[in-house]
Amino acid sequence: MSTLASDTRVALAIARKDALAELRGRHATVSTLFFAAVVLLLFGFALGPDSARLAAAAPGLLWLAVVFAGVLAVNRLHLLETDDGALEQLALYPVARRAIYAGKALAGFAAMLLLGLLVLGAVGVLFAVDIAGAWLPLLATVVLGALGVAAVGTFYAGVTVRLRAREVMLPLLMLPVLAPLLLGAVKATSAALAGDPFGELGAWLQLLVAFDVIMVVAGAATYGFLLED
Amino acid sequence: MKTRILGVVALAAVIAATFVALVVVPPDQNQGDAQRIMYPHVASAWLAYLSFGVTALAGIGWLWKRDLRFDAVAVSGAEIGVMFTAFAIWGGMMWGRPVWGVFWQWEDPRLTTTALLLALYVGYLLLRRLTDDPERRATRAAIVGLVAAVDIPIVHFSVEWWRGLHQTATIASPDRVLNPAAPMAFVGTLLGMLAAFTLAWAYLMVRRYQLARRELEREERGRIERIVEARSNPVPSEALR
Amino acid sequence: MMLWPTISAPQTSMPQTTIYVSPRSLGAHDSRPPAVVTTDLARLFAGNAALAGVSLRVDVGGVIALLGANGAGKTTLLRVLATAIRPSYGRAQVDGFDVDRDADLVRGRVAYLSHATGLYDDLTARENLRFAAAMLGTPDAAQRVERALSDVGLSDRAADPVRGFSAGMRKRLALGRILLGNASLVLLDEPYAALDADGLSLVDQLLVAWREVGVTVLVASHAADRLEPFLDGRVLLARGLVAGVEGQGVTSFPPSLPVARGSLTGVSP
Repeated sequence: MSTLASDTRVALAIARKDALAELRGRHATVSTLFFAAVVLLLFGFALGPDSARLAAAAPGLLWLAVVFAGVLAVNRLHLLETDDGALEQLALYPVARRAIYAGKALAGFAAMLLLGLLVLGAVGVLFAVDIAGAWLPLLATVVLGALGVAAVGTFYAGVTVRLRAREVMLPLLMLPVLAPLLLGAVKATSAALAGDPFGELGAWLQLLVAFDVIMVVAGAATYGFLLED
Repeated sequence: MKTRILGVVALAAVIAATFVALVVVPPDQNQGDAQRIMYPHVASAWLAYLSFGVTALAGIGWLWKRDLRFDAVAVSGAEIGVMFTAFAIWGGMMWGRPVWGVFWQWEDPRLTTTALLLALYVGYLLLRRLTDDPERRATRAAIVGLVAAVDIPIVHFSVEWWRGLHQTATIASPDRVLNPAAPMAFVGTLLGMLAAFTLAWAYLMVRRYQLARRELEREERGRIERIVEARSNPVPSEALR
Repeated sequence: MMLWPTISAPQTSMPQTTIYVSPRSLGAHDSRPPAVVTTDLARLFAGNAALAGVSLRVDVGGVIALLGANGAGKTTLLRVLATAIRPSYGRAQVDGFDVDRDADLVRGRVAYLSHATGLYDDLTARENLRFAAAMLGTPDAAQRVERALSDVGLSDRAADPVRGFSAGMRKRLALGRILLGNASLVLLDEPYAALDADGLSLVDQLLVAWREVGVTVLVASHAADRLEPFLDGRVLLARGLVAGVEGQGVTSFPPSLPVARGSLTGVSP
């Protein structure tokens, strides 16, 4: 009954709907980006002013800012569904559950990608690292990292959307699972910035790919259970 | 009862194994007596992982069969597992201090992975606590447990890679002592400790499961009572006009 | 099979229009399973039995009212049939498909109007329906959306965000969403609530239109009098049980004792 084509159509419709609602009135995309910027500023105050030390820490700071802001972003995308029982209505459509997950994760990915690219630029400016020299591997890292955060975040946002103490449970559940992604993304970023002296960039990118694939499959397989009852 | 026998046997085994580990087996040449804590530390860590595996599998059982007894197994695994995890971390730190000079070493894959396992367990148990409806709680816990269980091997693997790429092979680790040339005494003691701890784990699991099962049965009886009562006392139709 | 029923709409300011209702092709009359069959259906919330044991059979094509006081179980029954919640005990089937085991198949056949409208505040009326059409797989989506908007009288507000809509307008939009599907069973929970005169008349017209194309309708409502001319049968619920059944198209059976097992197996009552 549900084919790849119909699932894709459904996922795209959901992603489009999320994007539309975001652009239309939420204005929270902007505040999430500003939150990331504030986090970077605070890192500067906490670890600076030695610019060499900040430059060395830059990959870690970049991804920490992305991950923390990412928690806000995925939370917001699911909050959309609390409009007057929208989530329950969504669950009642005759569409595959994994397509619903794919749609929301796709919207999350778009948001995280935008976030990641902007934070990358900000880090380049604030912590004096040369991103232009290694733009291709950095872009690949941001894409893979954004996908991982979106896949995991969408899943846990679905778990916590109707939960008490949601604001603290979402990061509490999501962040430990993201530890390997964080590790891989930071390592890949520093390898890229240094010109990959030990040839390890490929290995870290592979880790990110493996993480993304596993998490997307796990999320798609289990998201449906969240929509029941 | 069989459970009581299991408990007695487990206790005896743990005492015996601890005695052997502390007194009988000779200390390691390099690490000295501090190395002895390796035995319960490693055994605990293995059981921490086993517990989480049981929790994840029991979660799948619930999702598939919709039988709340699977969920009772899952919560038992999580609660017993978090104890073993905490103990394993504590043991790792106690071992680390005299040997590494510091309590914590980020590149030791077992220590960091076990710490993350603790975070995942705690999240799992908190999630359960925040959901009241038994079926919804079982479903949420099952899928969270599943995703967390899938994450564990990735974490372990990535930390090993982290260490490997740094090429600081001088990082000592508790089970480095167990290389192929290790004396039988070391290996034997560890296996004995593992067997004893596993018995203790099994006993705790059974007890916890029995507790959970009794609770489920009580709830179920209550529900059925309420339904039977309602069906036996319908509102008479005259009262509705 | 597409029908364009003509509805006579007396005493209303709405123009006389035909409402587009696309029915599912239903097959030969005798071979169809009943629209709804429930067997000792029970549902508990935190120990309270919202449904204690409902056994009903609803025939295809009827318009049946669910009556009863608040808390009698009307909404819970509709939600189980809509697959929004699972039964605790007993079974329910829609067009022969079990709501628990074959939920996907049931979802394609059922349309549900609940208390909540499930609309997205930031999207316009048109965008909400376009999204629903994409989810429902409505053919000729753009045209059908415009048609649905005009059928429920919201064409002039189609480009406005739903955030500014009144409760009555939201309900009309939700009804418009139902028109985009091709359900064989329509479940309405208090359809008349919060509607003005035009809205009330719209619901009347919809009931007639659905009956004409052979769609089964279950309406939970306190407005028994208003529904009267459109009904084939009535079910009265009280404290989670069927207290009485009248008219045609619906039959009930007394609940059985002992209680069959639910989600906790291996525990005998």
